[in-house]
Amino acid sequence: MEELDLLKKDWKKNENSFEQVSEVDIYKMLHKKSSSIVKWILIISILEVLLWTGISLVYNSDEYFIRTHSEYLIEYFKYLTIFNYAVVAVFIYMFYKNYRAISTITSTKQLMKDILKTRKTVQYYVWYNLGMMVISMIIGFILVFNVDPKIHELTSKGNVMILMIAFCTVCTLVFVGLFWLFYRLIYGILLRKLFRNYNELKKIDL
Amino acid sequence: MSENLEKTFVQQLRENQNIIHKICRLYTSDSDAHKDLFQEITIQLWKAFPKFRGDAKFSTWAYRVALNTAITLYRKSTRSVSTVEYEKHSFFISQDEYNSEEEDQIKLMYQAVHQLNDIEKALVFMYLEDKDYTEIAETLGISEVNARVKMNRIKGKLKRWKSWIY
Repeated sequence: MEELDLLKKDWKKNENSFEQVSEVDIYKMLHKKSSSIVKWILIISILEVLLWTGISLVYNSDEYFIRTHSEYLIEYFKYLTIFNYAVVAVFIYMFYKNYRAISTITSTKQLMKDILKTRKTVQYYVWYNLGMMVISMIIGFILVFNVDPKIHELTSKGNVMILMIAFCTVCTLVFVGLFWLFYRLIYGILLRKLFRNYNELKKIDL
Repeated sequence: MSENLEKTFVQQLRENQNIIHKICRLYTSDSDAHKDLFQEITIQLWKAFPKFRGDAKFSTWAYRVALNTAITLYRKSTRSVSTVEYEKHSFFISQDEYNSEEEDQIKLMYQAVHQLNDIEKALVFMYLEDKDYTEIAETLGISEVNARVKMNRIKGKLKRWKSWIY
């Protein structure tokens, strides 16, 4: 077969003309799946922070404090916000570190360890956010009760007070529940994928 | 244990990487697709590696897994292969030593092979790799007779393609 044999000649000739892939490149390819998931965790957490910052810029609680003559609270809120951002920044830094670690690793054992670490970090992050939400809602309600003269007047009657507390509790639960679902959905999917990779790696480990 | 396994795999793969490159050459028509397919084959080989017990040569085993990966992937994607993109491929063909007529013919042949379907490409690949029909049949999981019939059909196709061009 003349045509194919001509091709064969060229085929043999160019056998070594390919750009060679290094061992490090191969390791990277093997771990790419995990590293791309961890990259998404990092991206989503940053987007989330941007979203919250955006919302807090639109809604300014300072005005409310000024209106209710409780300017001294502005200061406290500022500290709380700074503290919160600091903690979130630490988490994002940890996500980044996990991402760096997973995308440059050259051994499966270490990769498995880092996958578990990433899972833990994400779980802590979610619990911190939910906890922070509960605390800030409780603080918010207490402040409103004490500071706002209208509500203060209303709640001086015992029955209304109980009703209000019940209402606030339900509000908090619903709100936190919604966020819990949101986190479960977004981070849950990513973590499940990551864990599937982990199990795959474990199988190879046998 | 696992680290050793991985190390062995990576070493073997690096040494035998030209097998994958060559498959990529037949199945893809630009360097990005080449890299993607290379990576996909690498991952599939790694997944299958625990089942590779060393009773065959690494390269023989790699032929089978890599070709199967290429065939499966190619089947999923569209079958239309643009011939225009072939020009990008010309870096594979060294310019010197060929007279221009032969060079043109080789270009045409590559173009023609790119038009073949996924299984046919695998057969051409094995043929270009100087494998006999026994090995071709075994690697692709078809009978020897079937392999011969298919190969003849491919040759016919290529001939028709050539006469149509000229």
